[in-house]
Amino acid sequence: MTSFINDTQTAAGMNITKEDLFFRPDNRPDHSSYFQRFSASCAHAMSMIARRKRLAVAALIAFLPVLVPLALAFFSTSQFAESGNNVFVRLAEDLHINVFTPLLALFFAGMLIAEDIEMRTMIYILTRPMPRSAWVLGRFCAYIFVASLILISSAVLTFAASCVHSNLSLMSAGDIKLLLHYCGVMVLGLFAYGAFSVFLGAFTRRPIVFGVILFYGWQHLATLIPGLVDFFTIKKYTTAMLPLLATQRHNPVIETVLGNIQREVFLVGMPKALAALVFITVVSLLLTIYATYRREYASDRAAGG
Amino acid sequence: MSPIIEACGLSKWFGEVVALNNLDIALDSPVTGLLGPNGAGKSTFIKLALGLYSPSKGSIRIFGEAPRNNHRVMRRIGYCPETDYFFENSTGFEFIYWLNRYWGMQHRQAVTSAEAACDLVNMTERMHDAIDTYSKGMRQRIKIAQALTGCPELLFLDEPMNGLDPKGREEMYLLIQKLAGKGMTVVVSSHILYEIERITDTVVLIYGGTLLAQGRVRDIRDLIDKYPQAIRIRTTQARTLAERFITQEAVSSLEIEENSILVRTRDPNFTYEMLNSIALEDAELIQGIACSDDNLQSVFDYLTR
Repeated sequence: MTSFINDTQTAAGMNITKEDLFFRPDNRPDHSSYFQRFSASCAHAMSMIARRKRLAVAALIAFLPVLVPLALAFFSTSQFAESGNNVFVRLAEDLHINVFTPLLALFFAGMLIAEDIEMRTMIYILTRPMPRSAWVLGRFCAYIFVASLILISSAVLTFAASCVHSNLSLMSAGDIKLLLHYCGVMVLGLFAYGAFSVFLGAFTRRPIVFGVILFYGWQHLATLIPGLVDFFTIKKYTTAMLPLLATQRHNPVIETVLGNIQREVFLVGMPKALAALVFITVVSLLLTIYATYRREYASDRAAGG
Repeated sequence: MSPIIEACGLSKWFGEVVALNNLDIALDSPVTGLLGPNGAGKSTFIKLALGLYSPSKGSIRIFGEAPRNNHRVMRRIGYCPETDYFFENSTGFEFIYWLNRYWGMQHRQAVTSAEAACDLVNMTERMHDAIDTYSKGMRQRIKIAQALTGCPELLFLDEPMNGLDPKGREEMYLLIQKLAGKGMTVVVSSHILYEIERITDTVVLIYGGTLLAQGRVRDIRDLIDKYPQAIRIRTTQARTLAERFITQEAVSSLEIEENSILVRTRDPNFTYEMLNSIALEDAELIQGIACSDDNLQSVFDYLTR
């Protein structure tokens, strides 16, 4: 059995031991910059995300739409041939933006803070002289990078696969612009959904459960209820950011007449929708940072014990 | 000059549960033992001192400043928590490295410091292995190593002897004394008086969230010696081990259980020394030691009468 304490070792020709070097007061790091701590938090979150099985599962799910245009091309007969533009737009809207964006936010952002609370590793971080905002924003940045990479790669591949159909080309500037537009909306969605998920993770014990209820339950319900309730969804603003042609084509199966009228009357324009998404992101992140300063995460109650 | 730790009327409650009640403490000695049975409020006191909790009433000052969200104080404190929580799927080295980065160290310094810390607790050989594969003693070493990086002036060790074998405990005693010798102020919490007695002469007794006594160990020990202390020893050879103890005068009773024996002794010091020598003779024989609170409880009962 080895000894707990290392034997004193002397540096060649000097009476300075390794321990002396370790305990020298100047061994204490200098005041490092905010950016260094932010990047440390980001890099750590990336390394943790990269090791999770969750990453492979999320990527697998997100890449499923790539198969759809290929399957359509294989199975459909010429008289029912789909337009490539139509296929891509429907997949990008119905799956990438409305399903996968909130899903990736919950998968990754929802657990950014919640995992440290649940696993009680929070106390190590909270006892480090580190601005909480650098910690939260660093982690959020890691999530944005990973989730954007998955979602945009999937969208680009889906676009490429959709090109096997007519009316869509990789060489057309207009079609590439359409792709970029959708990618932009996806990233904006990731910001808003992600920030809200981080906020849920910092404030609730079950961010995934609350997130599923809000993103897939409430958001869908709100579009069916007449009135202004759909203003309290993220989906309204991501939808408003979509290209005009696509929004015109958007036609939910179940609609109430009044709800439809309300939506027509209270349609949100693209600049306002962009402002709303930025607002949701900023406020959610600020509330999360506030929570990390105010809440007592070290208690068993906070950790769910 | 104000004491390093100063609490005035310090109280903390969680809902209707009072964890600490009106505590007045001033700590200044190189090593202080924070003593009390499980649930006495030791960890709550430490977390208040670390700024993880804010006081419900009263105040606590570390180096003359309120510790909550105070980076100046955090930079001077190291903390080894009682619980075994680590970043998921990380190695011992990675765990310390990332905490160093959160401390504000740059990559190179974080690596050097993590290596030096592992070296100090003799974990160099295993530092690149997953923490999941570590024994309890190794995890304890890693937790202590992370607390030592950044060269803290004040070190909190929350139940550091938990789960350690006799040799590990002995090494821990030596390490704590060594750290105190390097000029560090060490606060060690434990629910076992004899552990504390090995490392310091100054103790703070907390019971039911209130300060019971503060002073020299000898005075408290005199009270304890009136009552036998129960020590549970885990072993696969219960009968062989029991034979060694049954003949000893200090042992007042002995129970053989499945994979353990329960020794009640009137001379715990002698019994611990005996355990040490047995462990040195045959490292396989003793798998673990757990001390019951009975004896300490008796003292608390005596003091609270």
